[in-house]
Amino acid sequence: MASQKRIAKELADCTTHAPAGMSIALATDSDVHKWHVTLDGPAESIYSGGKFGLVVTLPPEYPFKAPVVTFATRIYHPNVTNDNVGSICLGLLKAENWKPASKLLSVLQAVRLLLVEPQPDDPLESRIADEYRRDRAEFDKNARAYVQRYAKGPVKFDGTNVGADAGAAGGSGKRSTG
Amino acid sequence: MPPLNAPEEGVPAAGLASWQQDNSSTSYASYAPNMLSELPELGPLPETPTSSPPAPGPLLSPPASFMRTTRPRRFSNISISSVAATVGSETQSACVGSTRDLTGRSPVLLINYQELQYESEVDKSLECPICRTPFHAPITTKPCGHTFCSECLLRAHQLRPVCPIDRRPLDVERDFCKARVIHDQLDRLRVKCPSQGCGHVCARELLAVHYERYCEYTPVLCPDNSCDLWIARQDAAPDKGCLHKYTPCQYCSKQVMKAGLEEHYDRECSGNTVKCAQCDSSVVQHRMENHVANDCPSTVVLCKWNKYGCGKSAPRHDVQAHEKKPCIYQAIGRLAQDREDDRLIISELKVRLSAAEGRLRVAEQEKTERRERKRRQAGNTNNTMPPFVPDLNLSNSPRAAASYNNGTLDSPEDYMLAQFERMETQMEDLRKNIHELDGLHSMRLLNDTMRLNEQIAELGSKVGVIGMHTTWLMNVQRQSRGQQRAGGVVGSPLSSLASSSGGPGTTNSATGSVTNAARNAPDNEGGRYYNSSLPLRRNSDGRGENPPRL
Ligand SMILES: [Zn+2]
Ligand SMILES: [Zn+2]
Ligand SMILES: [Zn+2]
Ligand SMILES: [Zn+2]
Ligand SMILES: [Zn+2]
Ligand SMILES: [Zn+2]
Ligand SMILES: [Zn+2]
Repeated sequence: MASQKRIAKELADCTTHAPAGMSIALATDSDVHKWHVTLDGPAESIYSGGKFGLVVTLPPEYPFKAPVVTFATRIYHPNVTNDNVGSICLGLLKAENWKPASKLLSVLQAVRLLLVEPQPDDPLESRIADEYRRDRAEFDKNARAYVQRYAKGPVKFDGTNVGADAGAAGGSGKRSTG
Repeated sequence: MPPLNAPEEGVPAAGLASWQQDNSSTSYASYAPNMLSELPELGPLPETPTSSPPAPGPLLSPPASFMRTTRPRRFSNISISSVAATVGSETQSACVGSTRDLTGRSPVLLINYQELQYESEVDKSLECPICRTPFHAPITTKPCGHTFCSECLLRAHQLRPVCPIDRRPLDVERDFCKARVIHDQLDRLRVKCPSQGCGHVCARELLAVHYERYCEYTPVLCPDNSCDLWIARQDAAPDKGCLHKYTPCQYCSKQVMKAGLEEHYDRECSGNTVKCAQCDSSVVQHRMENHVANDCPSTVVLCKWNKYGCGKSAPRHDVQAHEKKPCIYQAIGRLAQDREDDRLIISELKVRLSAAEGRLRVAEQEKTERRERKRRQAGNTNNTMPPFVPDLNLSNSPRAAASYNNGTLDSPEDYMLAQFERMETQMEDLRKNIHELDGLHSMRLLNDTMRLNEQIAELGSKVGVIGMHTTWLMNVQRQSRGQQRAGGVVGSPLSSLASSSGGPGTTNSATGSVTNAARNAPDNEGGRYYNSSLPLRRNSDGRGENPPRL
């Protein structure tokens, strides 16, 4: 209960000052703890042209515990698990880094920035990270293929546009626990 | 989902404990003990709730104001209660958790300051960065100067002992201090009462008093010992028993909580609207009586000026039109009403007057007693210091005498004051007397000096005369000696005098004296003086016994 006001304010902040290409909505009107965010692939990134769904889940202990952000849309990215869970490795959200005063708006901005500048040194998918570092052309090709395959058309948050054929394009690599 | 509440008591964290001790305004905890002790008796009270088994979940949506709660439990050093079930999206009451049963009286739900509705937008600078609501019992971190609600900071600190903004390590004992600066601003924020249905708005500082003591809508623990739900204070009469039992609605056979029946009838019950027999409108059945009595346009009613003579009696809408026309008895009716109002006011004034009279009587009685006491004291003073008072009684000032003698004084202070006044008048009189005396003295002095001066001048002139006489006599003697040598016999007795006064110097001083005397009385004798050159003439005046007059 204590967090209701906080969440309401965060939501208001995020919707009024939404980062470029983002739109935010509640998953269901009755629950402020689950947000659906639609993110247009940033134009300056290889993901441009794609529409990505993000699910922001606020734990009951929010803001004392960090929110959980996952991609609802499959994405080929060193910091996002290449599966139908779409976990993100974001420094800001790690338990040891989370600050109760952190704003969700900055979390969303960080996610967007992650698409522009992947962080291969702190990967969730080490194989993709390796590829990103060593063979950027191959990485770009795969990423664009994913965009074409999963991130076109209306964003769905119900899981129907993720994991339909997990691993088909890149396979699941070794995961580190970001 | 355990919500966080204002800490209640015995919080180990030193920062918070001290906060409670000397925070006088915003902290709920500091209000609680004395406030609860002043709460009106609310009926037979449940003991501090213990681990009663959770009540069965609601069969149907209970009205928003009745939340099912579990009893408060401890979350380390912060007390937390949880709401097991709230129903509907607008049921987020601002009240969660309960106070402990401090005085054995009905506990009420704690105010959750984070859920309060403020009358107007609150300045961002007064917003806690954690809960994003205006600070409640704010604490500032000493090393980095960040401010948070005490609940928020302690909760965050518990998970990770660092500043929630910059992650600087913080120690509860050392690094937390109350943020006094913003206190006044926070206290003055206008806030709505969190009780459902209340709508009272007041300064946040005063909210706890209203909520704890006066608000009829404050959720209190159900008077039924076996029930651990909350109920609005106005419904918590012990004779009503537990209103949380479910009964089937008499109209639609739905299971409804007793406390929520009215709301059910008004809002959702579908089986109880009936057509009014008179006006054809559909009305909730249990409101029918009310409708017929107060609303139905077809009910035959009397003109409202009926009392003052109007005989109109017709269906309500006709009568309303008639009253609006307006009814000719309106003027007289208004007049009569005014008179009635006046009468009410008069009777109220009478009551107040008699009360005032009573008070006056008491006061007078006290006054008399005090006067008695004072008189006795005054008597003592006179006895113990008999020489003092009479001694001072030099003056016969009427005021001082009156104030002292007729005993109209009623307190020791007044008595002392009177004494002072009396002494003052006496002093005044003394001063006047001294002035008089002074004048008298200088007058006398002047007179006496004048006489003395006169006498001195007289003496001076006499001396001068004597000197002249002497000179004359000496001259005479010299002449007679010359004549003796020649064979004369004149004035042998004068010879000794002449020899003692000696020579021309004596003549000089005598002349000076005469001049002096002449100055003092210029008119005397037409300015005729004896010059030493005219001794013979003086003799011929025949006033030998008188020295020259001044
Ligand atoms: Zn700080
Ligand atoms: Zn706060
Ligand atoms: Zn109220
Ligand atoms: Zn009850
Ligand atoms: Zn019903
Ligand atoms: Zn009717
Ligand atoms: Zn009438």
